Amino acid sequence: MVMRSLVSVVDDDESVRESLPDLLREFGFAAQAFSSAEEFLASDYVGQTRCLILDIAMPGMSGPDLQRELTLRRQEIPIVFITAYGDETTRPRMLEQGAVECLFKPFSDTALLGALDAVFRVN
Amino acid sequence: MHTDIDDRKRAEALLAGEKRLLEMVAGGYSMSGILEAVCQLVESTASGCYCSVVLVDPSGTRLEHGAAPSLPASFITSIIGRPVNVDSGPCAMASYLNEQVIAPDLTSETRWAAYAWCPMALAHGLRACWSTPISSTAGKVLGAFAIYYDEPKTPTSLHQSLIEQFTHIASIAIERAQSETALRRSEAFLAEAQHLSRTGSFSYPVATDEITWSGELYRIFELDRAVPLTNELIYSRIHPEDIPFIREMMDRARGGDVVDFECEYRLQMPDRSVKYVHTVAHGTRDQNGRLECIGAVQDVTERRLSEEALGKVRSEFAHVARVTSLGALTASIAHEVNQPLSGIITNASTCLRMLAADPPNVEGARETARRTIRDGNRASDVITRLRTLFSKRDVTTESVDLNEATREVIALSSNELQRNRVVLRPEFADDLPPVTGDRVQLQQVILNLLLNASEAMSGVDDRPRRLVIRTERDEDDFVRLAVQDAGVGFEPQGVERLFEAFYTTKSGGMGIGLSVSRSIIESHHGRLWAAPNDGPGATFSFSIPRRHESVNGAGSLGAIWTPAVADAQ
Repeated sequence: MVMRSLVSVVDDDESVRESLPDLLREFGFAAQAFSSAEEFLASDYVGQTRCLILDIAMPGMSGPDLQRELTLRRQEIPIVFITAYGDETTRPRMLEQGAVECLFKPFSDTALLGALDAVFRVN
Repeated sequence: MHTDIDDRKRAEALLAGEKRLLEMVAGGYSMSGILEAVCQLVESTASGCYCSVVLVDPSGTRLEHGAAPSLPASFITSIIGRPVNVDSGPCAMASYLNEQVIAPDLTSETRWAAYAWCPMALAHGLRACWSTPISSTAGKVLGAFAIYYDEPKTPTSLHQSLIEQFTHIASIAIERAQSETALRRSEAFLAEAQHLSRTGSFSYPVATDEITWSGELYRIFELDRAVPLTNELIYSRIHPEDIPFIREMMDRARGGDVVDFECEYRLQMPDRSVKYVHTVAHGTRDQNGRLECIGAVQDVTERRLSEEALGKVRSEFAHVARVTSLGALTASIAHEVNQPLSGIITNASTCLRMLAADPPNVEGARETARRTIRDGNRASDVITRLRTLFSKRDVTTESVDLNEATREVIALSSNELQRNRVVLRPEFADDLPPVTGDRVQLQQVILNLLLNASEAMSGVDDRPRRLVIRTERDEDDFVRLAVQDAGVGFEPQGVERLFEAFYTTKSGGMGIGLSVSRSIIESHHGRLWAAPNDGPGATFSFSIPRRHESVNGAGSLGAIWTPAVADAQ
């Protein structure tokens, strides 16, 4: 059996955690959802995760905080940021800081697929 | 016989001269012209004499030139400027003592030696001097009238009556000139004061329509003083919309109804610029019972324009305050709505893909469709909450559960608080009685306090950004809400400044929220205040009465009032 690549979703919003993994599975990925950056870091999936779909604004540790933490741990995982707060400065800033893509909620399945294509083409 | 005829002729000439002098006084001739004529008349009446008039200056200390048509100029200049005392000369002495001074022979005269007056007079060929003070009707010395001879001489009774007669005429001329100077000065002061205060004055004998205006009033109306004032001319300057009002005022004044009035109206200049004037008028009756209206008209254009500008700025402030709190909310609302929308779109996409699979995953599609509906309802809930917060535009008074109202505000701002990583701890009193007030306004205040507290902690990284929101019963049947932050706090002496419009400790804020919040709480008969915490941060609290007087005893609310409170009203 071919191992599917694991995409982890970190978002404090429940409806994202419920809906996104199903769509990712439809795309052919394995998916796990976490309600906070802390929960993700404490899990066993950090090493297996090939791509992170990461909410920017979360209580406690934010998305960019998690990105920095992973860099410090030398566990650099390609990141697609998602946010419901974005303004025109958000996306360029996130890309500059090393994200593969930054999507504004609500985003289409094709936009997500495009971002994932970019991640896995590089890999 | 010959002497008799001479005497009669002289008396007639004297009478004619005196008459002419009085005509000069009445005709407004200059003082120096009249005094010269006095001297010349006396010189022509008492032959061989030379006359002079010196004046005492306003301070009463020095002699000034009056008139001396026949005496040498060098003699007069040596007298002028001498101090008014007993030593400097006969005129100075007469003025000082207010007594006649007679020096019949200057060669044997011993007075005024300190000023060497006699040698000076003798050098000009004078041998006798009689100086008489000129007094005002009030007894004040105005100057001195002197008669000189080039031979030793003592005055006769004829001379004395001549002197008495002409010092009297000189006194009238001097007094009149002085009061005219004083009047002119006073008029100049008045005109200057009118100009500075932009106030014109008028008098209007109602029966005759002969209106008199001060110069400043002509300037305010921008009318030429040379053109006779007519009602038509005046009305041509009054703003067309205010003409009926002014006509009514004038009609009532003519009818004697209005004795005193005060009003403000507009003028319109030929260039169509508008002036605002404020008029105060007072009606009086003269001895004949005729009504005269006197009044003042002040140009208040600048004041009115700045009042209008101020009013405009005020309403702009209120608008800014509304927009500022709306702006903060918009980000929060966008987030709240975008989250469920995101779920809806993702679920719908998943659903379609599950149905398109071979074989279709119908069970999975059903589950995602269910989630779509749930997220749709979530979005709808957000809209419902917003409606309750913003649909009521008018200030209304109703029974408000402060706990519930606060919960709604927290729900709406929770994302904003989360984004700032604020740990919110509500501490709501269970037995909190409802208050009467405007629910939306109170929620705006609560929102403002919450967002302020959140912002005050945005730079705090060394401690939890804890925000406590507490409701409790207060003394005297008040209910209190407190928002306690762990932020930067404020200087105790700066408390009141926090509530000033535009005062802010934030770089991005307008700082108007607190002053508006305070006025909302005050309109609820409560108070809003700030106090520093024992630890870091500050606590902002408001306390409002459970009910206040502007609330009518609506039946539906009656049940929640305790009888004791209702009786106290």
